Amino acid sequence: MCTVVPALSVQGPGIFPQLHRNEETEEHSLLDNIFWMAAPKKRRTIEVNRCRRRNPQKLIEIKTNIEPCSECGNLKQKHVLCGFCYEKVRRETAIIRGQIQAQEGKPLNNPAVETVVLYEGEKPADTDAGKRIVERKRQRPSWFTQY
Amino acid sequence: MAASCAVGLGVSLARGLVRYAEASRLLAPCRVLPQSCIHTTTALEGNKNWERKNRVLHQPQPPEETRRAAEVFHCRRQIKYSKDKMWYLAKMIRGMTIEQAIAQLEFNDKKGAAIIKEVLLEAQEMAVKSHNVEYKSNLYVAESFSGKGQYLKRIRIHGRGMFGIMDKVYCHYFVKLVEGVAPTEEPRTGFDQAKEYVQQLRNRTIIHSL
Repeated sequence: MCTVVPALSVQGPGIFPQLHRNEETEEHSLLDNIFWMAAPKKRRTIEVNRCRRRNPQKLIEIKTNIEPCSECGNLKQKHVLCGFCYEKVRRETAIIRGQIQAQEGKPLNNPAVETVVLYEGEKPADTDAGKRIVERKRQRPSWFTQY
Repeated sequence: MAASCAVGLGVSLARGLVRYAEASRLLAPCRVLPQSCIHTTTALEGNKNWERKNRVLHQPQPPEETRRAAEVFHCRRQIKYSKDKMWYLAKMIRGMTIEQAIAQLEFNDKKGAAIIKEVLLEAQEMAVKSHNVEYKSNLYVAESFSGKGQYLKRIRIHGRGMFGIMDKVYCHYFVKLVEGVAPTEEPRTGFDQAKEYVQQLRNRTIIHSL
C-alpha cells in the first residue's frame, strides 16, 4: 500500500516569500543610503596633492637637543640617558642578575637581607656584615663606585 | 661595426661584451657608455644608472683651475618602505653636513631613518677608501631622494566577494655626498620671484618681425 506523501505543489522562490522580501528591502535601504554618502567630486591634481604633502607642518622638524655624551662621546638627547652607557651598565647588571639567579637556585628564593657586589681583590667591609655577597670575577668598572 | 658583430652572437655573449667595454675606464675621457648602446637589461632589472656615476673618469685638471670637489654616489635598492614616507627623511637631510645628518637620523623614530643612516655611513666609508676624500666629516649631502622600487601585488579580500589588489611597496634611496662645505643659498623671497617674472615678461620679443 503506497502512502500518499503530501508533495509541495508550489516550488522555488514561492516557498520562501519572507526571505525574498527581506533581501529586497535590505538592498533598497543600502541603495538609498548610498545617495547620501560623501564622495570626491573631482580628481585631486598632483599640484594640490603636493601642496598638502609638502607643507611645512608635514615636514620633519630637525631636533636641536642632540649633544655628545660627556662620558663616552656618543650622541645623546639632552633629557635622555646615553644609549651606549646604558647598554654598558645593562650588560654588567645582566651578568650580576644571572649570578644571583644561580645562587638562589629556584624562583622567589631571595634571602631577606641586602646584597653586595664584590669584584676581584675586594673584601666585604664592616658595614656589609650580614649582607648577601655576589662575587664577580673581574676588576671593578670605573662607573660602579663602591661607596 | 660592433653592433653588427653582436647581432650574430648570442644575447648573453653580447651582454658580456657590453659589460667588458663598460669596465674598461680607459675607453674615453668623461664617457661611461660604449659606442654601441645595446639594450641588454631586462624589464625586471631596472635602471642602475646611479651606481654607474661613481665610475665616471674626468679629464685631468689644468693647474690654475679650482680643484673639483670629490663626489660619492651611493644608493640602496628595494627597501621595504614607502617612497613617500622615505621622501620626508630624504628632504630633511638635504644640504646638511654628514655628521649633522647622521645625528638627526639617529634620533628619528621612523623605520627609514635607520636605513638611511646605514647608507650614509657606507657612503662615507666608500668616500674615504676609494674616492680620495681626506676627512670623513668634510662631506655634505648634495642630493638625497627616494624612488619607487618594484612592487609585489597581492589580493586584499573585501566583503561581498569583492577584492582589491594590494601593493607591497618597495623603494630605492639615492644619496650624493660632496667633499667640502655646503653652499649656502639665499632664500628667494616673493619679491625676488615677482621681479624675475616681470623681467621674463620684458624679455619677450616678436620673432621674424621688421
